Amino acid sequence: MSPATAVAALAKLDWTTFRRRATSFFLDWMIWGYIAYGVMYLLNKYWWTVPLERFYSTLTLPSWGWPLVIFGTLEMAIWSRNLGRSLGLRAFGYEIWGADGAPPRLGQRIKRALVWHLSVLPGGLGFWLSPARPWHDRAAGTVVQPAPAVRLAGRRKAIFSQWGLMSLLLVALTIWLGWLIIKIDIGVLVRRGDEGLRIWREMLHPDFRYFAVPDPVFELRNLPYSILDMAVITLFMALLATILGAAVAFPLSFLGARNVMGFNPLGWLVYLLMRGFFYIFRSIDTMLWAVIFAVWVLWGSPLAGVLALTVHTVAALGKLYSEQVEGIDPGPVEAVVATGGSRIEVIKYAVLPQVAPAYWAFTLYRWDINVRMSTVIALVGGGGIGDLLFYYKNEGDWAKVGAVVMVIVAIVWAMDYISGRLRERIT
Amino acid sequence: MNGYPDGIVKQQPEWLTRQGLFDLIYLRLRGAGQRLSLVLLDMLAVGLLWILVSYVVSWHTRSVVAYTLVPWWLFGLGVVEAAALWESFGRSLGFKVARRELRSRDGGPPSFPQRLAYFVGWHFTVLPVVGLLFDPSWHERVSGLTPAPFTMEGRVPTPWWKTSAGVYVAAFLVVSLAAATSTTISEESLRRLFTEAHRTVKFWKALFSPDTSILLASIRDLLVTVFMAVIATSFAVVVSVPLSFLAARNLMRGPVGRSIYTVLRGTMSIVRSVEPVIWAIIFLVWVTARRAPFAGVLALFVHSIADLTKLYAERLESIDPGLIEAITSTGANRLQVLRYAVVPQIINPYISFTLYRWDINIRMATVVGVVGGGGIGQRLFFYLKNLAWQQAGTVMILIVILVWAIDYLSARLRAKLA
Repeated sequence: MSPATAVAALAKLDWTTFRRRATSFFLDWMIWGYIAYGVMYLLNKYWWTVPLERFYSTLTLPSWGWPLVIFGTLEMAIWSRNLGRSLGLRAFGYEIWGADGAPPRLGQRIKRALVWHLSVLPGGLGFWLSPARPWHDRAAGTVVQPAPAVRLAGRRKAIFSQWGLMSLLLVALTIWLGWLIIKIDIGVLVRRGDEGLRIWREMLHPDFRYFAVPDPVFELRNLPYSILDMAVITLFMALLATILGAAVAFPLSFLGARNVMGFNPLGWLVYLLMRGFFYIFRSIDTMLWAVIFAVWVLWGSPLAGVLALTVHTVAALGKLYSEQVEGIDPGPVEAVVATGGSRIEVIKYAVLPQVAPAYWAFTLYRWDINVRMSTVIALVGGGGIGDLLFYYKNEGDWAKVGAVVMVIVAIVWAMDYISGRLRERIT
Repeated sequence: MNGYPDGIVKQQPEWLTRQGLFDLIYLRLRGAGQRLSLVLLDMLAVGLLWILVSYVVSWHTRSVVAYTLVPWWLFGLGVVEAAALWESFGRSLGFKVARRELRSRDGGPPSFPQRLAYFVGWHFTVLPVVGLLFDPSWHERVSGLTPAPFTMEGRVPTPWWKTSAGVYVAAFLVVSLAAATSTTISEESLRRLFTEAHRTVKFWKALFSPDTSILLASIRDLLVTVFMAVIATSFAVVVSVPLSFLAARNLMRGPVGRSIYTVLRGTMSIVRSVEPVIWAIIFLVWVTARRAPFAGVLALFVHSIADLTKLYAERLESIDPGLIEAITSTGANRLQVLRYAVVPQIINPYISFTLYRWDINIRMATVVGVVGGGGIGQRLFFYLKNLAWQQAGTVMILIVILVWAIDYLSARLRAKLA
């Protein structure tokens, strides 16, 4: 085959279908990999009795173990795909059929699995050289096609099909593994039930002595605030973080919207940078930001908490805002552009009126989240009412912990209610 | 009339008819309630501003926090008088919200003596509340003023800084911002923000030069975190699905059903208000720190139940009743109605909510680890506490990759389900 015909043949390859088939195959491979991992874990746990720590950290496999696992799972995936409808095929809605429209016979299925090795393993040769129908399908006289919408009579129920059984197996395996990995022990809840009951009893008889009067112990820590004072400070932290975050995210959101930035290379670059910034900073939780800022600013100072909340708010609101900007009706934008409006004028007269209600709703939603987060951010040195909570908890003074928790519940509940009502009003 | 000559049967006076009595009691009460709520709104506005101002002032002049700066009775008196003055001599926030303004009975603008009479009468009318039950109320009768609907007809719009309500809102915003900044930003912390940035340099550097020797152990903890989220979510689903039917308003009719609904929703919203971190602390003491991941799972489990039940129940409340009627009219029993009318409507949103919650639980599982709830979070916090920046940076990269991947996966799947 000359290069020219090869290129022409490749052009005929339906990339969407190819990608879906490949993904469905890798899904099957991953599933068998997961099963192999689970089996190894269970063998280690119940039979080998190698200490689990060593199992993880050294991955006690002999040198031939890794190729064995990789090729073993590969073979399992191939045979499971060809001898029935595997979970990977089911997830993408595919089914193997005979070319004559009948269900494939066993011989065809085995032939397809065998030829697959020759067709796909040498770099996917069978696909590149025969794009319309790869070698293994051609040799076995089969096609891979979307499953018919109407089921034939007398087909197996889902539970008896291969993918149904496989899903059940995966669920069972996951719960078994999870149970062992997390070392779930329901018994301990009962055995230490007295301890648990004591905590609950003390928390439900809260000690509100220091609700309005500062607790003298905090004089030593230079924190002469009562629970009420701390609650107010916490609210202010959330308020400040939300205002600052929204103020920063507002201009950035236009830089992160593709339709505003246009399709020139510079616009793309800014857009990608903005979006990348939003995604990465959003993935780092507020609590982790708080640790960084606590080390930077001052352990336990509210400013650290405010900065942590602000950074996360900027990233989260920036993403929500810019998605909103991308979803606007282009009509008004075109109208303003047609009158000769600059980019700023387009934003002011065509974009802002369309996104303003959603912006307010997102900001209120974020305020709600910030109030929740600010109540616990003290744990990692962020300041606020959580300071009292963790201090009393370390003292084992559960009655006072109960009082603080009740104040927190009241604050969060009230903010949830108010922000919900306001959002209903806006939208 | 009634076959009797006129004058024998006296006509009932109008206020004695059923409608008249109804008007007298119900409408007057409602009117008084509306007036009173406007007055309370004004008092609340004045009181909040006062509290904020004294908060800021006391914060800067004394070391302790004070909310009123004056004895409480003086605070109360001041709030009442300020509200009365505001309502009598200007257009207060309450009037603005109700879109009304004081006008003379004949439609002209109020004169000063009229406003003064209104102000004096206000005390004898609003404070004992009884005066509001009359229509027009006592102070309106005395002054000849009435709260007429506000119109812009024949007027030039006033800019906001020339209206008392506008000035109030601006002052409120400024003072609350001042309070927020002064409580959260101390001089020392601000100074350190600009001088101590070098403390985190090591951390940022580590993001580009990860410590590969802890990679395997960290991936092990990452797996623990994923399993924590999976187990917590799947067990929470098992509990929340049946609970959601009990917490749906449209399915729980009758006194028993409604009380179950109320109790369940109330409990769930309280449980939801407590962050998983706080739950983890409680469970850690209960099951001891030796079983840290178990405590983390319990915390996520409890919070997920509350959250999922609420999401599921809200979805149930918005199902289309037409389908249920259609299936019921074919003579189906309750189970069949559930199977053929309810389940098809809720199955996709339920799966979608579950995926969403799983996504959240992965993030939460890393956070719960910080209090000692096991998994990758515990490792990260350990490194951060011991100032092992390079290791902390490595773990942070892993967390970002995990959260990113799960976020993407769950968003794709949810887009498919929608």
